[in-house]
Amino acid sequence: MKSIQQLLKEKPWLGWIIFTATVLIVFLLGMLASSIVQRRAEAVFAYTPEVTFSDFEPRNSLWGELFPREYDSYLKTADTTFRSKYNGSAMVDMLQESPRMVVLWAGYLFSRDYGQGRGHYYAIEDIWNTLRTGAPGAGVTSPQPNTCWACKSPDVPRLMNETGAAEFYRGTWETKGSEIINPIGCADCHEAKSMNLRISRPALIEAFESQGRDISKASHQEMRSLVCAQCHVEYYFNKKRTEGVDYLVFPWKNGTSLEEIEKYYDDIEFADWTHALSRAPMLKAQHPDYEVYLTGTHASRGVSCADCHMPFISEGGQKFTDHHLQSPLNNIAASCQVCHREETDKLVQDVYSRQDKIMENRIILETLLVRCHVEAKTAWDKGAGEDQMKDILSDIRKAQWRWDFSAAGHGNSFHSPVETGRIIAGGIAYAQDARVKLARVLAALGENREIPYPDISTKEKAQALIGLDMKKLRDEKKIFLDNVVPEWIRAGKEREAGY
Amino acid sequence: MAFLKKLVPPDNWKFPVIVTLAIFTGLALFVFKISNAPSYLGDKPETCVNCHIMAPQYATWSHSSHREKTNCNECHVPQDNIFRKYFFKAKDGLRHATVFTLRREPQVIFIKDEGRKVVHRNCIRCHEELLTDSKLLARTTETHTFRMERDCTDCHRETPHGRVNSLSSVPWARVPLPGPIVPGWLRNMMKNKD
Repeated sequence: MKSIQQLLKEKPWLGWIIFTATVLIVFLLGMLASSIVQRRAEAVFAYTPEVTFSDFEPRNSLWGELFPREYDSYLKTADTTFRSKYNGSAMVDMLQESPRMVVLWAGYLFSRDYGQGRGHYYAIEDIWNTLRTGAPGAGVTSPQPNTCWACKSPDVPRLMNETGAAEFYRGTWETKGSEIINPIGCADCHEAKSMNLRISRPALIEAFESQGRDISKASHQEMRSLVCAQCHVEYYFNKKRTEGVDYLVFPWKNGTSLEEIEKYYDDIEFADWTHALSRAPMLKAQHPDYEVYLTGTHASRGVSCADCHMPFISEGGQKFTDHHLQSPLNNIAASCQVCHREETDKLVQDVYSRQDKIMENRIILETLLVRCHVEAKTAWDKGAGEDQMKDILSDIRKAQWRWDFSAAGHGNSFHSPVETGRIIAGGIAYAQDARVKLARVLAALGENREIPYPDISTKEKAQALIGLDMKKLRDEKKIFLDNVVPEWIRAGKEREAGY
Repeated sequence: MAFLKKLVPPDNWKFPVIVTLAIFTGLALFVFKISNAPSYLGDKPETCVNCHIMAPQYATWSHSSHREKTNCNECHVPQDNIFRKYFFKAKDGLRHATVFTLRREPQVIFIKDEGRKVVHRNCIRCHEELLTDSKLLARTTETHTFRMERDCTDCHRETPHGRVNSLSSVPWARVPLPGPIVPGWLRNMMKNKD
């Protein structure tokens, strides 16, 4: 065979053919490369909205203009018509449902007012309305710190971004009234630019750090629960972290189980309040929804909060995440039946039967706790000494912590029925222990008859028993709602008009 | 070897030949890199959304119960032997890549007959007990027709992707699409220059 050089010398046109072929190959290869580049670039833009605002835009309606379906479904959290057997979207006066709670919280603001929450849409309205925030006005401050706003609004990350978390928490609740006017919404969970999920509150990030974990490593599926865990968790106010500030902390350093959190509080000798009747150093469990969910079977199968509470739905040929955060019992088809191919009635019955059984023992524990507090008060009245009462008060603290931990998370008895049953059983044991010890103390003080169970058949009777002047509280609240709140809204809107 | 020796250019040509070949190799490597070519050997579902038009399929799967136990290939690629698996994957993949590159994708993507058969076999692979349950062995005249002439998906049409699968059916779903081509460090460097 001749060498290429020789061939080319003999047939110069062959050189041109090789030249043209090479040009063609490079040209086509370049086209292929640029096509791939172009289609990859599409991916970056095709699913990214043209957002003009920042992560700290608090007005949900602005986000809603770009995401009308998500926003419309979010607005449905304003619906209060769904009522399941124990929960739902309507405001339920829990103290009326169970006046025992009034006695359990004597000396604490929860004994004034405790409503089962409505949807996110009402976050701001309901914190104005609750008697627990008091009636600030001329010269009067709220009994609560600004920390109580922490979970209520996308205005919170906006302000925290300006001043830092500690400064945000500083001061009493009414001082930020005109700053926080938008209910829980888009910016609480989403980044503006990419619409990815984000953690907007420092407390959860710090809780992860206290366990030596890094929340920025969380997967998308984990984030679909963690954005909820920014608020639906047990927390307390640490007064020692920054001078003069009620700093929001999740007590997760030892872990998230009931016992690990209890140990955390015991180690720092923390109490939310001293009980007005029994003088026990009490813990108020907030709403350990996420902690209890983690112990349940759905969590261990990788099901996130959003899978059931925000299922994928279809509307007019489009599929999207339902932003109507609600009880899955109101949407069995899109939530439960994605995995469980059973009849709706059957699935609802499964939930109710768990709730019924847990509730049965919860009421027993609640009743025992009322007796504990009343009997302890009798013992003090009869002249019992601190050393006689110490163990009893510790038992009461432990028993009520178990009751509250199981009761405060409304979904607990479904999210993790076995764990919730276990917790309540432990509470009953501690309450009975306390009562055995109380019986001995009372006998030693010459009181050997049964201490009568108080008449707390209604909320009003229970509140009168612990000495609350409800009419005064309600009248003051009305003045606050009529005079102060409209001013907050006006000032807030004026501020936003300047954005 | 003699043949290879013939390909070696004379000494005075070596430099331009090296440069030319390197240009080709570089361009090929670039294509290899931006198309995430090595990912096609694996089973990660992220690979399938290298083409962003697969986002609806990914999003619906990731909201279904099948996300816990399966990935795309578990159902859409034969799993009975490794040669069939990679042959099917190469054949199907090259067709997909061609369609995508030439922008010939339809607005609503439907599965082809061959793909449907693969899915059907894979349904049975995991859910075999449903077919071999002795309780269901009673025979009627229609048994053969029902058993042999229907696909699982004839009835279970919404499993797991739901009904609606147009390219624009999941406008804002969070799907792990490939990111920008320019790597992060380079973007940051360019940003700093401004």
